[in-house]
Amino acid sequence: DGVAILPAPSNLSVHSANMKHLLVWSPVALPGETVYYSVQYQGEYESLYRSHVWIPSSLCSLTERPQCDVSDDITATVPYNLRVRATLGSRTSAWSTLKQPFNRNSTVLTPPVVAISKDGFHLVIELEDLGPHFEFLVAYWRREPGAKEHLKVLRNEGVPVHLATMEPGAAYCVKAQTFVKAIQRHSAFSQPECVEVRGEALPL
Amino acid sequence: GLRRCPISMDMRHLQESFQDIQRAIQANDTFQNITILSALDSLQGIKPLDVCCVTRSLLAFYMDRVFKDHQEPDPHILRRISSIANSFLYMQKTVQQCQVQGRCHCREEATNVTQIIHNNYNQLEARVAAVKSLGELNVFLAWISENYQDGSA
Amino acid sequence: VPCVSGDLPKPTDVTFLSINMKNVLQWNPPEGLHGVDVTYTVQYFIYGQKKWLNKPECRNINRTFCDLSAETSDYEHQYYAKVKAIWETNCSKWAETGRFYPFLETQIGPPGVALTPDEKSISIVLTAPEKWKKNPEDRAVSMQQIYSNLKYNVSVYNTKSKRMWSQYVTNHTLVLTWLEPATLYCVRVVSFVPGPPRPAKPSEKQCISTLQDQTSALKVK
Repeated sequence: DGVAILPAPSNLSVHSANMKHLLVWSPVALPGETVYYSVQYQGEYESLYRSHVWIPSSLCSLTERPQCDVSDDITATVPYNLRVRATLGSRTSAWSTLKQPFNRNSTVLTPPVVAISKDGFHLVIELEDLGPHFEFLVAYWRREPGAKEHLKVLRNEGVPVHLATMEPGAAYCVKAQTFVKAIQRHSAFSQPECVEVRGEALPL
Repeated sequence: GLRRCPISMDMRHLQESFQDIQRAIQANDTFQNITILSALDSLQGIKPLDVCCVTRSLLAFYMDRVFKDHQEPDPHILRRISSIANSFLYMQKTVQQCQVQGRCHCREEATNVTQIIHNNYNQLEARVAAVKSLGELNVFLAWISENYQDGSA
Repeated sequence: VPCVSGDLPKPTDVTFLSINMKNVLQWNPPEGLHGVDVTYTVQYFIYGQKKWLNKPECRNINRTFCDLSAETSDYEHQYYAKVKAIWETNCSKWAETGRFYPFLETQIGPPGVALTPDEKSISIVLTAPEKWKKNPEDRAVSMQQIYSNLKYNVSVYNTKSKRMWSQYVTNHTLVLTWLEPATLYCVRVVSFVPGPPRPAKPSEKQCISTLQDQTSALKVK
């Protein structure tokens, strides 16, 4: 009845960076044909208590591309099983399952892109929108020997955030790292960026 | 909240997941005169010393009874329940470590509260009780959020 | 006189509008009965209790809202409410709300905002929003007493540089220092409680100018 005649997708793997998880696989090569793919997942809860239950991915039912963004499916810090099958007309392949379950705590966290600016004597920072998982640990200091480093935990609110009030005639430097509480990990710090505040006279 | 067993959790996501399915789940709960977790005030009376034990017991209540007794046909709701169940599984692992280290002791007061919840559950047929308990997840999540404000994600 | 139930269409969009625990049931008239002299009767239910309760002040009313703040003032309980339409001897079936949980669903109103300018600074004093109270002379209860983790997102807009920035504060006073003299700044504040997403209403935008810089004023003389 057409089941499993179609070859199954192969070489499944997950590329995960900054809590965006992309399942990719080698496509089924049938020249001149459009093959579709469906993805399902199972969290550790399902595999422990309901191993027969596989949940259709929220984004990839009958998708043409050999990849699937499973970020909205992988929503807990536990191992997830993932599987894919191919469909061509009434023909479907067997399921191909990811060799090793995927846990989002393995995601690569990159130093954040931040934009430092000043409004008069006010040091302002604009944070990259990396999504709701991310907090930013921002360190700032006055560029002078022995200066104390100040820390602030900020969230991206889509609006520049006030970091500090600067004193005239000084230079201030800033660096930031991301922190994801859900996986209890943080990224490396970004390269420090510095701004200078002109002397006594205020800009008219 | 008791800092003896800080639990890392993605509380914002948990509450959003529940809020997304709240109307649909609660609409299927037609027994408005019965509650299982009852009002927050019965949980509100839990002393800091008992917070870890009650957390452990209620996580087990949901994992071992509620999610098991509930059959969900709607894929969208199934995804949200799976997300909550897997998040609870992650929290259970943390709590179990605390228990192994002797930091999650159960006193009689805490055991009584969870026993009341199980008794309430037993009053109803399992699937009905499961739907009602799912519809009262907001009570449990609000209680967790209040008691683990620092530890919550 | 009991009415014949079901002959009228039900009121629609029956919901609670809740701000600072002032919980008002509101609805739209039944389809097709706009302009007809319809009246409404409301009942409410405390989740886990035994029966629906009447609200005498909302029996046979013409308006399409009913203040149930007093009846739902225990914000740690959950509630339902329902309303039916009545016209002459006909009435609709009940139209019911979903389960309403004031503690998690009430909107936290904006704080009071007082601005005091100086040459290079603006002092901002915030007053926490107040919980609804039954009688004006009752003791005021701050929403902070209910939500200990209440904080404020203060947005500041420099009308000269056209730059805006924001910052979260937990206490009720904030001094913006090292501002530009004789410059109009606009401020808007939103209350925020970590937890399930809730709608938030910002304060009215308030604009104030920093004072003229006295030193430059002397030079001019």
